[in-house]
Amino acid sequence: MSEMWLNMGPQHPMTHGLWNLRVHIDGEVIRDVDPEMGYLHRGIEKLSEDRHYNEVVTLMDRTCYVAGLAWEHLYILASEEALHIAPPERAQYLRVLCEEFQRIASHLMWYAAFVQDIGLMTPFLYGMRDRDLILDLFQSYTGARMTYEYMRVGGVRNDVPPGFTDRARQVLDWLEPRFVEYDQLTLGSDIFHKRCDNLGVLRANDCVTQGVTGPMLRSAGLKRDLRKDRPYAVYDQLDFEVALADTADVTGRYLVRLEEMRQSVRILRQVLDWLDRHPGPVMASQLPRWLGAPYAPVGREGYLLKRNYPKGVGFSAVEEPHGEALAYVVNEGGEHPYRVKFRSPVYANIAAARHYLVGYRVADIPPIMGSVDICVGEVDR
Amino acid sequence: MSNATLYSVSYDLVHAVLFAIGSVLPAPLHGWIESDGLVTGLAVLVFGVILLAASMLNTILLIWWERKLLGRFMDRRGAMHVGYAGLLQNFADGFKLFRKDTVRPREADPLGFVTGPTAYMVTSMIMFGILPISSGWNSGALPLSLLLALAVFSFAPLFIFVSAWSSNNKYSLMGGMRSAAQMIAYEVPLLLAVVAVVIVAGSFDLTTIVYEQQNYWFWGPLFVALVVFVAGMLAEMERIPFDLPEAEAELVEGWNTEYGGMLFAFFMLADYLRALVGSILVVLLFLGGWTMPSWVPSVATSFPLAGIVWFMVKTYAVFGVFIWIRASLPRVRTDQLLRVGWNRMIPLSLLSVFLAAALVTVKCLPVFGCVPSPGI
Repeated sequence: MSEMWLNMGPQHPMTHGLWNLRVHIDGEVIRDVDPEMGYLHRGIEKLSEDRHYNEVVTLMDRTCYVAGLAWEHLYILASEEALHIAPPERAQYLRVLCEEFQRIASHLMWYAAFVQDIGLMTPFLYGMRDRDLILDLFQSYTGARMTYEYMRVGGVRNDVPPGFTDRARQVLDWLEPRFVEYDQLTLGSDIFHKRCDNLGVLRANDCVTQGVTGPMLRSAGLKRDLRKDRPYAVYDQLDFEVALADTADVTGRYLVRLEEMRQSVRILRQVLDWLDRHPGPVMASQLPRWLGAPYAPVGREGYLLKRNYPKGVGFSAVEEPHGEALAYVVNEGGEHPYRVKFRSPVYANIAAARHYLVGYRVADIPPIMGSVDICVGEVDR
Repeated sequence: MSNATLYSVSYDLVHAVLFAIGSVLPAPLHGWIESDGLVTGLAVLVFGVILLAASMLNTILLIWWERKLLGRFMDRRGAMHVGYAGLLQNFADGFKLFRKDTVRPREADPLGFVTGPTAYMVTSMIMFGILPISSGWNSGALPLSLLLALAVFSFAPLFIFVSAWSSNNKYSLMGGMRSAAQMIAYEVPLLLAVVAVVIVAGSFDLTTIVYEQQNYWFWGPLFVALVVFVAGMLAEMERIPFDLPEAEAELVEGWNTEYGGMLFAFFMLADYLRALVGSILVVLLFLGGWTMPSWVPSVATSFPLAGIVWFMVKTYAVFGVFIWIRASLPRVRTDQLLRVGWNRMIPLSLLSVFLAAALVTVKCLPVFGCVPSPGI
């Protein structure tokens, strides 16, 4: 078998979405790779310019379908800055609750997909089973399991229902011993170490030059987490550690994500305690009318109010489960954002594929790309 | 029932039916229908059909067993809705595949594309004519049945490679190459492990090998050989952790990527046929076949067809271990697999041969007892 180009994708089990990894192989050895994205482009940034501020939240759920709430948070933070609106503290805690539960759910989804990539079938279903508990929690207060549409400019749509915090604590109590079980199923196996140690190595300086962020960066030993380095919402009031590893390989990324789930549980316990102790409003009281009632017809009065509303730009950076997501929202006056721009962490992580794939084998592609944690929805937007 | 074999039963059946028909027919037809050639020919046919039905039924049951057990390992129920506890699910799946059109890629080689899976299936089924399931299964007239079984078993890489190459698909080709490399590499330790058994039993006849295990089953004294044999069988069956020829994560479906409909069903069935054959070989060579140890109360071993029942119990238990392995291990990489095959398995299998030779020399072991009749 001589050298050839192999199209892994756009429809391929390894891709976990819709993109194409062109691989130049020599036998089983990878000589070159060429990632091609764009198969899932839906023009979300352009669509956002045509919608009310709160209607864009709907698109955010579709941007990353496994971490919708994190992307809602990202957009809401930027547009609140652009619109000069400050949410109440309880809403901020609720957003952190959303984001951390979403982080666990996303990492569980990643865990399930990743172990499937190296041929482990049982933990795949364990991961999906436990993720379902979190989706049930989401359903209990957002009404949806995947497309939540929960956050609003100025707060969140509704408070959590009575008894929610206890149910959430039950889920956390169930999850914590599961993480030990996950480790036993993967790290306990010699084959796992044979497959994943020293695989897909991307050192910290390469990560920085390629814009690779998130667990991939932290697995290379660089202590960089936006929740600590550029605290948003109420993360500066919460006590947690940044998950780190220094091997820069697939095993390192695995360890970082598992540790992040544990830290998320830790954060969530604090958040749930805070929510129990501090009842209060979840929406800002001083909202312009055209924002407060986004689905009501905008009358003459609302239009006038809107015209006098101050302009502004908003920037936000959120440590999304996949990495650092950035958003930029321009408010030129008017009920729609003038321009919305996102930075997807996964796009940069995939684009650097040449730096961590070349030299390994075809059979290594699924674990390496699996360890990147791909969500094509946010890559193409 | 003691001396009846499956063939003699089918011969008697055909004989009785043909003679009943012949008795009412006029003379020339009467003589023709009762001729020995016709009876023998039809008896062979009936024998084959019974074997075919039994092997197919067991294969489908095996798939059900795997689905259910795998489901339990994964904290779910497996197939539940078609038939009791999903027993008929696989029949439904089979009929669905049977009704589907077979799509052949335009650039695929028509001859290889169709003959590959068919030959793979046929060679897998031939095995069932060779393997004795109980004392009354076949006449034991195959003094080299073990050798024949392994020879037929090792046809597979050829046909897999033919079908992979003729699919004209890069994934298929890579899967086929991996499959060929893997099966050939693991054939050697597999055969050497078998040699250990043959040394102790002193025969290549599977029936004799089973009866040589009357004092103790071979899994204890030949434990190294058992480990090598099971690992080799896993590689031959292409199951996790050695399922990399069809590693769906990178190779889509490996060598059967381009297959659909009945040809895919052939591959699927043949895979499980081979899995069944592998489990049966483990039972025959290491777990005493249809015999049970003497401490088992005779009530449990003397009912009609007890041999077949115990054999099936053991076979499904062995396959249960394979399912367990599948549920708990990740997949290895080709180079790692081959390195383990050549660097670890072959020395281990040579060790097992050495241990078997030592056992035959010593003749008796403290716990297990004595070698019944060391032949070599």
